[in-house]
Amino acid sequence: MRNRQQLSRRTLLSGVLGSAAAALLAACSGAASTPAASTAPGAAPTQANPFGSAAPTATKPAASAVASSSTAPSSNANAATSPSAGPITATGKMTYWGGLIFSDDANNMLSQAVKDWGKQNKIEIDVVMINQNETNTKVAAAVESNTMPDALDMGLDLMLLLSNTGKLTALDDLYQKIGTAQGGWLKGTEDATDPKKFGGSRNGIPFGVSGNLLFSRKDVLQQAGIAVPKTWEELSTAAEKVTKPPLYGMGLALSNVGDGNLQVSVLQSYGGRIASDDGKTCTLKSPETKTYLEWVTSAYKRGLFPPGATTWDGAGDNNAYLAGQAVFIANTGSVAITAQANKDTDLVNNTGYSSLPSGPKMKISSFGPNVRAIPKSGKNIEPAKALIEHLANPDFLNKYYKVAIYGPVLQNQLKFDAFNEPIRAGLADLAQNGTAPGYPDVSNTAYADFNNNYIVPKMIQRVVIDNYDLDRAIDEAQKAGEAIYAKYK
Amino acid sequence: MTAPVTQASGRRRYLTMAHREALGGYLMVLPVCLVLLGLVAYPFIYAIVISFTSRVVGDPGVFVGFRNYQFLFNWVSFNRALTNTVTLVVVTDILKFCIGLGLALLLNEKIKAQGLFRSFILLPWAMPAFVSYLTWRLLFLPIGGGINLLLNSFGLNVGVIDWLGQRSTAMPAVIIATVWRGFPFWAISFLAALQNVPPEQYEAAKVDGAGTWQRFRYITLPSIRHVIIVVTLLSSIWTANSFESIWIMTQGGPSDATMVLPVLAFFGLQSQRLGEAAAVSVAIVPALAILVFIVAALLQRED
Repeated sequence: MRNRQQLSRRTLLSGVLGSAAAALLAACSGAASTPAASTAPGAAPTQANPFGSAAPTATKPAASAVASSSTAPSSNANAATSPSAGPITATGKMTYWGGLIFSDDANNMLSQAVKDWGKQNKIEIDVVMINQNETNTKVAAAVESNTMPDALDMGLDLMLLLSNTGKLTALDDLYQKIGTAQGGWLKGTEDATDPKKFGGSRNGIPFGVSGNLLFSRKDVLQQAGIAVPKTWEELSTAAEKVTKPPLYGMGLALSNVGDGNLQVSVLQSYGGRIASDDGKTCTLKSPETKTYLEWVTSAYKRGLFPPGATTWDGAGDNNAYLAGQAVFIANTGSVAITAQANKDTDLVNNTGYSSLPSGPKMKISSFGPNVRAIPKSGKNIEPAKALIEHLANPDFLNKYYKVAIYGPVLQNQLKFDAFNEPIRAGLADLAQNGTAPGYPDVSNTAYADFNNNYIVPKMIQRVVIDNYDLDRAIDEAQKAGEAIYAKYK
Repeated sequence: MTAPVTQASGRRRYLTMAHREALGGYLMVLPVCLVLLGLVAYPFIYAIVISFTSRVVGDPGVFVGFRNYQFLFNWVSFNRALTNTVTLVVVTDILKFCIGLGLALLLNEKIKAQGLFRSFILLPWAMPAFVSYLTWRLLFLPIGGGINLLLNSFGLNVGVIDWLGQRSTAMPAVIIATVWRGFPFWAISFLAALQNVPPEQYEAAKVDGAGTWQRFRYITLPSIRHVIIVVTLLSSIWTANSFESIWIMTQGGPSDATMVLPVLAFFGLQSQRLGEAAAVSVAIVPALAILVFIVAALLQRED
């Protein structure tokens, strides 16, 4: 009898606990793996804030249709020079993730432009500005939790990763429309976003080119009687002449951050390659790589890099230059904007801008267009297209480029007065004459993974921090590169 | 008339009063069990499952067995990260224990402005972690950093020491910052435990001729042993999983001198390779599990 009673209780409790656990697991599993929510008309808006706050309610319940037909690409190409006319309806509150840059003015202008567009169209829209160094991780979390925004800014690497998994909406029509209306896309931008690399379609609308320029202290160089270096060898020679601690010649990051990967371009300009021509096999180990490594580590050992360059964060070179500790830095332009904001007229006037130096084999001055993209999971694809089209408006962009740190992407933008100013003229030059992302290597997911693991900066650190000999450091980096490329075969 | 009898006999057969009370108890703890399942068990098991797949962001991937783990164990950075994580946990725990216990003993004495000191000691722990580590990063800067300025102002003429940029000093610098941030938790926990030690025990020991060290060894330590074990466990888990300290101060560098498992997992996440990132995170679980079992055994032995 007692046994029977125990069984009864156990059975009951196990049943309750088991069912509850199963229900919970099923619910959680569903939440994690359910594909993008349907955009079926009339579906309740469930769009959530990317940071997990409560989902807003629909502001326009009547607008059950996904989008207004008026936002469809117009046959009139010039329409892309101004926002599409006609009503635009959205399902629930829209969310836009803008890329945060070092210019507060630019960030505010972008944010305001998006909000104004929302007001004009009576659409409630949240603008979340995200540090571009964190976009990848934020997007990873958002994709997994199905909380992607309606539109967002991103770099090419992320567009590549998301295109490979079919997460982005094809925007060929919008790309064509904007390009036609504004004199056509610049060739470099067009090539960099070639559909062949991104699953067969244009998955992002370029809005600005980023890339490094060489910033140099004109006053220091003039005092030493040195011209702006044209090659990396000349740069290290010049750096040696002007290094007088606490002023150091080579303000280049050698740390595990994005800036550290500038060294990949330098390595390539020495003839080194990350991978084979088909982009499938790591070929880092080569005599050219050794020549490059010898050059950079020798410069480090001669004390030409500021102390701390091996652990700098993303603002390390900016801080060193602004503090008067570096003569040369490679920077996208953020330093100049900060110097202007700080009213450091001495530094602003004494800074020269030029393209990155050449190596013994070639000149690599890599640039990458930043794009605005629309996740497929969004419920407001057509309104998001209208928003992106609105942000491509030349009037807005001319003002925006004056405070932002981007080069042009369209032919007509070359005429903007924003690009008469020295830094932005340098960026415009880069947009026209720079080398394609990854060149001469293939910019694929393996290449992006290689860079995300900072293999080249780490190879340098092995020599200058751990006293590895050059061959051992290259062997280790080659092995790490092989392991990465092997994952994508 | 017969129905109630049948019901009553049915109840008697299956659920006695004791059983019903027990059932009520189980039902009361059910919500907690569900929350634990949802917030702890599910993510934990899910992470283990993902670590055996080729999952990337947006693609569930396929089952790849131990391939992610094979990749990790052949990865130089992983082995270094494992060693560094263990070093960081062990060294910081020892230092936090010594500092925390020392301060707790001091604050347990009748001193002036006792309350003020007790509040003051909590400051490092109350401060947001990123502010603490950013401050320490600035202090350790080679040029213009507070530590170098201080040493030079004392006439030591150390020049420019790149504290975070050298293998020999990077990990000690991170350890100092981690200990500074974490010792208040130990001190306050120990202080709370010390206040529960009956003073009669010390008086009796004194009467028996026990010296200071003997009173500490045979009364204080055994009395707060329970708290020491729990605090050590919690602090070890927090330190092993801490990300911001390393990320803000060194990003795992220079070279891999301060690379720890959470930072390595973050690199995996940056590449959108969730399977690998999960494998890195799961790899530390056995070590933490052993620690938990040891602590549980110690606590049980005490009980």
